[in-house]
Amino acid sequence: MTTRPPVSRRALLRTGAGLAAAASFGAPAILHAETKTLKITTWGGKWGDIMKATVLPAFEKEHGCTVSADQAFPYVPKLQVSPRNDPLYDVLHTNSNEQWLSVVDGLVMDKITAKEVPNVADVYPYAVSDKIVGVSIFTSAIGLGYRTDKGITPPKSWKDLADPKLAGARGGYLIPVNSLGQCHLMMLGKIYGKGLQDLDAAYKALEQLKPIKLVDFTGQMEKMLLSGEVVEGVIHDSGVYRYEGANRQPVDFCSPSEGVMALEQVLNVTPGSKVKELAFAYIDYMLRPDVQKLLAEGVWYSPANKKVKLEAKYDAKLLTTPEKVATLIQPDWKWYNARKDDIDARVTKILKG
Amino acid sequence: MSMPPNKQPFDLGKAAYLGLNLLLLAFLLAPIAIVLVFALNPTPYISFPPVGVTLHWFDKFFETADFMRSLWLSLWIAACVLVLSVVIGGACALALARGNLPGRAFLTAFFMSPLMLPAILTGLALFQSYLLSGIGRPLWGLIMAHTLIAVPYVLRTTLAVLHNFDRRIEEAASVLGASPARVFFEVTLPLIQPGVFAGGVFAFIVSFDQFPVSLFLVVPKGETLPVVLFNYMKFDLDGAIAAASMVSILLALAVVLALERLIGLKAYVKL
Amino acid sequence: MTSATIKLDCVTKTFDGKVVAVDAVTLDIRAGEFFSLLGPSGCGKTTSLRMIAGFEMPDSGRVHVGGQDITDVPVHRRDMGMVFQSYALFPHRTVAENVAFGLRMRDVPRPEIAKRVAAALAQVALTGLEERRPGQLSGGQQQRVALARALVIEPRVLLCDEPLGALDRKLRQQMQFELKELQQRLGVTLVFVTHDQEEALAMSDRIAVMNKGRVEQVGAPTEIYERPRTRFVADFIGEINLLDDGPCPGALRPEKIRLVPVADARLEGTVETANFLGGATLYRVAAGGRTYLARETHSGERSPRAAGDAVGLAWNDTDVVPLES
Repeated sequence: MTTRPPVSRRALLRTGAGLAAAASFGAPAILHAETKTLKITTWGGKWGDIMKATVLPAFEKEHGCTVSADQAFPYVPKLQVSPRNDPLYDVLHTNSNEQWLSVVDGLVMDKITAKEVPNVADVYPYAVSDKIVGVSIFTSAIGLGYRTDKGITPPKSWKDLADPKLAGARGGYLIPVNSLGQCHLMMLGKIYGKGLQDLDAAYKALEQLKPIKLVDFTGQMEKMLLSGEVVEGVIHDSGVYRYEGANRQPVDFCSPSEGVMALEQVLNVTPGSKVKELAFAYIDYMLRPDVQKLLAEGVWYSPANKKVKLEAKYDAKLLTTPEKVATLIQPDWKWYNARKDDIDARVTKILKG
Repeated sequence: MSMPPNKQPFDLGKAAYLGLNLLLLAFLLAPIAIVLVFALNPTPYISFPPVGVTLHWFDKFFETADFMRSLWLSLWIAACVLVLSVVIGGACALALARGNLPGRAFLTAFFMSPLMLPAILTGLALFQSYLLSGIGRPLWGLIMAHTLIAVPYVLRTTLAVLHNFDRRIEEAASVLGASPARVFFEVTLPLIQPGVFAGGVFAFIVSFDQFPVSLFLVVPKGETLPVVLFNYMKFDLDGAIAAASMVSILLALAVVLALERLIGLKAYVKL
Repeated sequence: MTSATIKLDCVTKTFDGKVVAVDAVTLDIRAGEFFSLLGPSGCGKTTSLRMIAGFEMPDSGRVHVGGQDITDVPVHRRDMGMVFQSYALFPHRTVAENVAFGLRMRDVPRPEIAKRVAAALAQVALTGLEERRPGQLSGGQQQRVALARALVIEPRVLLCDEPLGALDRKLRQQMQFELKELQQRLGVTLVFVTHDQEEALAMSDRIAVMNKGRVEQVGAPTEIYERPRTRFVADFIGEINLLDDGPCPGALRPEKIRLVPVADARLEGTVETANFLGGATLYRVAAGGRTYLARETHSGERSPRAAGDAVGLAWNDTDVVPLES
């Protein structure tokens, strides 16, 4: 039992101040007409904390602009609805699968090159590969997370998830709503069939993984691993590595021998943006080695910029060398998105019950 | 000498009725109990049995600026929605019940329609029309959207009261010399008040808990509590969420009790 | 208390453009009179009352009160008292507040309101219940509050829409006495709507019997009872034997038929049923191919006849009331 004090008086006082803030919220902030506003999307959680505390204020100061950062999902539908010539966002930060959805509708640009964003010259090839629209500024590796204290053999291969001993204690995702689940499905096609696009083999392999605990987002998978409800499950490396130091938990991450799937953090610019220069400048800023280092070490993401030098403990685990980056497998989201409805129907049927 | 009391035969129906009610109560309260356990448990995940008791998550909730900002914003919006929907819904109900309007059934269905439509569609449609008409996403736009969803609740409860309303009471007032305006304020309004405010309480809660409609209409730094919680959950699924839920439940309860105290939802009339 | 005449001058009211509720009704109600509108439901009696009150606007015809044409005066300026069948008390106000309402609307000074409310409640024997709410009162008490509320403004006219209809029989009779007594004491013109002929007969100075939106007959209770002019009135008021055979139709009250030995009889018949009513017995007698109703009052000894007994029927021709056809 912890002996934290009950809710502090300070906390309660702060809520009082919050009331005043909310009351004054009705009046829109009057901005100087010449101050440009850059509208972006960004993640919440620890990432969002670092962005708000350090990264964005510094960018605002450097460019004399205001950044309006939307942390409320869902970004793509919102962007979809807003007028093309006055889009809701100037920079869309999201995962690769959603970038591909957006580019098909003309919501984001096709490619971002070193011409617009000089730092693109320094990124690993995967970050601007033909599997990417926009530019990937970080990636996570999707592999297997597992408990170190439950007497299981640490996994080495994706196939280890099918170990009968893990029945009911293995974890996966609701494939229709989670891109990690979708990656896993494609990976099943690769290891049990002819390749990432061998859906029949993937379906068959998925059937073999039942019974399996399914969650809809990665945060839940982390908690399932921590609580021991899931002993081994599909997860990205950062979701396991973040429990280190004082926060240490009996979990570890395995990069399977067949390779890890890439979970890219992609930035892209909307074609209708009225502050395109600023948008490119923002992406360039996000690719700067110092910014990359700060965020990479903050949330355990592998930086896309080759020139970033991380502290040893991060360097040891993240994908920071060409050799390690080479283990990344990038799914073809254009191909997947085109079949998504059929796949959703099929996997729902398989995993039902 | 008094007779021994007659032994009541065991009433199976009555016992079953009691049992069913207890079951329903348990069914309704169990989720709240689970949330409370999660909120007080030190581990950042649901573990059962709980390993201890801590107020750490409540502390985290109250210490997190985003939560506090959105909590007050949600309360502020809900209060506005309460007032607006009571005025609009009450007036609509009176017009529909009393106005002798042509196409009354159609109008009623029209005002009720936000209840029929999935709220997420309402939110998306409003978002789209706000953007297309160049309004953007001002706070009043969000309040109006919540009001749109909340009005049917007030409309429904007020119509129910009006439906059972003995109009002779109003006639009695007017024959006693009350002008139409005085009849309204002296008789009609006090008598429909319980219905209007019951709807108002619903309106408050509908707004305070509103997620689907808010989803598209909130702006960065102007997210309501449910939206903030939803997004928080994607990255940090811990007890702060449960603490936030408990605080929400208690706040909603406090508002209901306060309104009850203030206005007396327990109608003194058999309406 | 002053009282006023009421005159309905060829008043017609149609609902929804087709249902004629009141059809060219003309009535002259005298000042200080207890006047009943009597008839079955849907006969137009309530609509007539509501036109006097001002709740309904006649399609044509005028309404006069105290010699003034008030057809276009809104309800709240008509200065009338009204008692409703449902009492229509304000449930959110106390008894005293209910009674004070009309005075408040008239901006009567507060001390005077208190005095007059107390007096009005005393008048209906409700002193001590001032702070109760209507929901805490019995039906009879509620009725008294309604009465006090209507009378405290000293109206020229008191309108009562089936005010006793919701009370049980015993209480109703008591309230009949009280209402009549109060009306006489105050001398107010009282228009009383009822479908209960006994009630109308017992209380009224005059009665207007209505049917299908028209007035069939206006007269004192005895006149209405003994000399019904139409078949409808004869049939609606009390029990009656309608004699349709013969050249002109007539009506014969059951009490005018005597049960006599067969030898002295005008008609021979057989008792079908004998209903003991306490002070009298009502016989149904089959005779001459139809059924006659005969009421025999018990003065002294009963002459018990049972079903199946042969009896003779007799009456005087002067007791047969000719009816308009």
